[in-house]
Amino acid sequence: MAAFLSGISIVCFAASYAVALACEASRLLFRSGVRGAVMVGFAGAGLVAHTLFLGWRAANEAALPLSSPFDWYLLAAWLLAAFHLYFTVTNPRTPVGLFMLPVVLLLVGAAQLSSRDPFPQNPATQVWGAIHGSLNLLASVSVAIGAIAGLMWLIQAARLDQKRAPLQGFRMPSLERLAQVTGRTLAISAWTAAAGFVSGIVLNAVNRQRGLLETVPWTDPVVLRMGALVAWLIGADALAQLARRRADGPRTTAWLSLASLAVLTASIAWGVFGPTRHGKPPPSAAVHEEAAP
Amino acid sequence: MTIALVGGTHRTVPIGLREKLAFSAEQAAQALARFRERFPGREGVLLSTCNRVEFYAAGEDDAAAPPHEQIVSFLAECRGIDAATLGPVLSQEHDESVVRHLFNVASGLDSMVLGEPQILSQVKQAWAIAQDSRTSGPLTAGMFQAALRTAKRVATETALGRERVSIPSVAVADFVSGVFERFDDKRVLLLGAGKMAAETLRYLRAAGAHEVVVVNRTAERGRELAARLGGRPGLFSELEAELTAADLVVSTTAAAAPVVSLEFFGRVEAAREGRPLVVLDLAVPRDFDPRIGARPGVWLYSVDDLAAACETNRRRRLGEMPLAAAIVEEETSRFMGDMHHRSTAPVIERLRAGWSETGEMELERLFRRLPALDAVTREEIRQAFERYAAKLLHPPLASLRSESRSGPPHGLLDALRRLFDLRD
Repeated sequence: MAAFLSGISIVCFAASYAVALACEASRLLFRSGVRGAVMVGFAGAGLVAHTLFLGWRAANEAALPLSSPFDWYLLAAWLLAAFHLYFTVTNPRTPVGLFMLPVVLLLVGAAQLSSRDPFPQNPATQVWGAIHGSLNLLASVSVAIGAIAGLMWLIQAARLDQKRAPLQGFRMPSLERLAQVTGRTLAISAWTAAAGFVSGIVLNAVNRQRGLLETVPWTDPVVLRMGALVAWLIGADALAQLARRRADGPRTTAWLSLASLAVLTASIAWGVFGPTRHGKPPPSAAVHEEAAP
Repeated sequence: MTIALVGGTHRTVPIGLREKLAFSAEQAAQALARFRERFPGREGVLLSTCNRVEFYAAGEDDAAAPPHEQIVSFLAECRGIDAATLGPVLSQEHDESVVRHLFNVASGLDSMVLGEPQILSQVKQAWAIAQDSRTSGPLTAGMFQAALRTAKRVATETALGRERVSIPSVAVADFVSGVFERFDDKRVLLLGAGKMAAETLRYLRAAGAHEVVVVNRTAERGRELAARLGGRPGLFSELEAELTAADLVVSTTAAAAPVVSLEFFGRVEAAREGRPLVVLDLAVPRDFDPRIGARPGVWLYSVDDLAAACETNRRRRLGEMPLAAAIVEEETSRFMGDMHHRSTAPVIERLRAGWSETGEMELERLFRRLPALDAVTREEIRQAFERYAAKLLHPPLASLRSESRSGPPHGLLDALRRLFDLRD
């Protein structure tokens, strides 16, 4: 059993999601009576492998979810994959995987590029660290779901504007449902991102006060990008609220959701490739580790 | 074994005659009871819908299906029509073409609206009436069960029945449902109440709409229509307020000029506070200024817009036809193969019986000459004989089955009869 679990790799579930995505895309080309079952089968198998992979890391590599950038991205991908499976089973005629699975695969790709070194942990700040990571994770997943719903809103609205019948295998949810999802996820992402930012400040303050771990300066790129993301999300939510009673409100919200994903993606790219002290061990500890035999 | 079909559809029988020829369920049962008396031992199923009346008859060799003229006379007699009038407009089919026709009918491929699903329940009903009237039998049972299977395959393996083709159904399923998720909290405004509005309302009610306001230029007529359609009458003089409160408008007035101009709608728009509005302008000339459709949050569809979508769906249905026809052809071949193979059963039975009898005789003689054999050994020898016979029989039976796929294997049957001296 242990050999089986340790043999599960990122490729296993990424390939399953890719096959599910290919099945979803094939809806546009031809009809099939078994495609739905095959698609759910691969998405489900991918999710099971994904879960086992994260579980195995948590149990054997002291890598609790959110304990490293690698695990953080994989957990975000896992949440989206779980949402995808739920939507696919409850709305079998909606090609939600066509929009959601690419994001899942992008997050898995981002995980592959990011560091697997765990964030430095201290029992005194572990709770704040978990709160900070969880809120940021929730905010990011909300942004992704909102952007997917926003994109679907724009596609559906374009079809209705052009007075075209829906394409075979490409039946979108109603504008009413999509507008609800974009509005709610924008609000959730704004407030969870803000709370995540505040919890990060608290975490930093506790570290500084107790001299436990390396503190992150205000000018650190991660602090700046997260601050910019929070400011953007709160501003976007405020704009969406203002537009709520206007006829073009849902369209505005859809575009704001898409722009939020762009801002989040830029922020993540900055985080992956940019220099930072965020989540790094103190320099003294690093020297210590290097000096160790 | 013979299968015959006599019938007419909307394509061949004028509506006046079709009305006279149509059978209600009760009349069909009576007609089948009469058929049973007149043609004992034959099977019969009567399919009568608003677009077709078809009589399917079948029989084995000793009681073959009645000929065309007799079925025409029978139908004419049942409905009190002159057989000379009916004969020329009713077509006839035999054997395989009957099977193919029934499979096409059950799958909606022969319907006025291609792929419409109601015909399947009508075929099921016709079959149930025949069963109750005891005019069904093994041939029609096999044929109708295969027809239902074919229809199910066509429905699931093609998109033929999925694309809507009537304006009200396309309007509600493809456009209004694209904007609204639910209808139980929406207000529907019927402006005028043409036939199309009533039909559209039927689909909206099925989707959950229950708050309906009917506004007509003539208050009296409006009240009458509201009562008939189960809505609340509204006043034409309060159209601005009604439009402000509505989520969906179905407009079918006979007005010569637009009832709702852009200026008029501008006043309504300000009061709506951004709520989306869907307008199905089914009137010709149009009731809504087309420029209203360009306003944000307004989804305006005219009859032409919806007709274009219907036409797209119709083309998509036609695009599914080759796939559906291939399924029908495959099922027809399978059914005919099974039927032909069924007709070989008596010869196979006699062949098996003859070989078994000879085998038994030889075994008895062997056991008499070897009395020391115990029961286990005797059983082993008996089984070896049976396996030997089965292996020898396998090639001719496989040839019969293979030959049955392309038609009744008369040549092979005749050869078997002569080679193995099989007498009836």
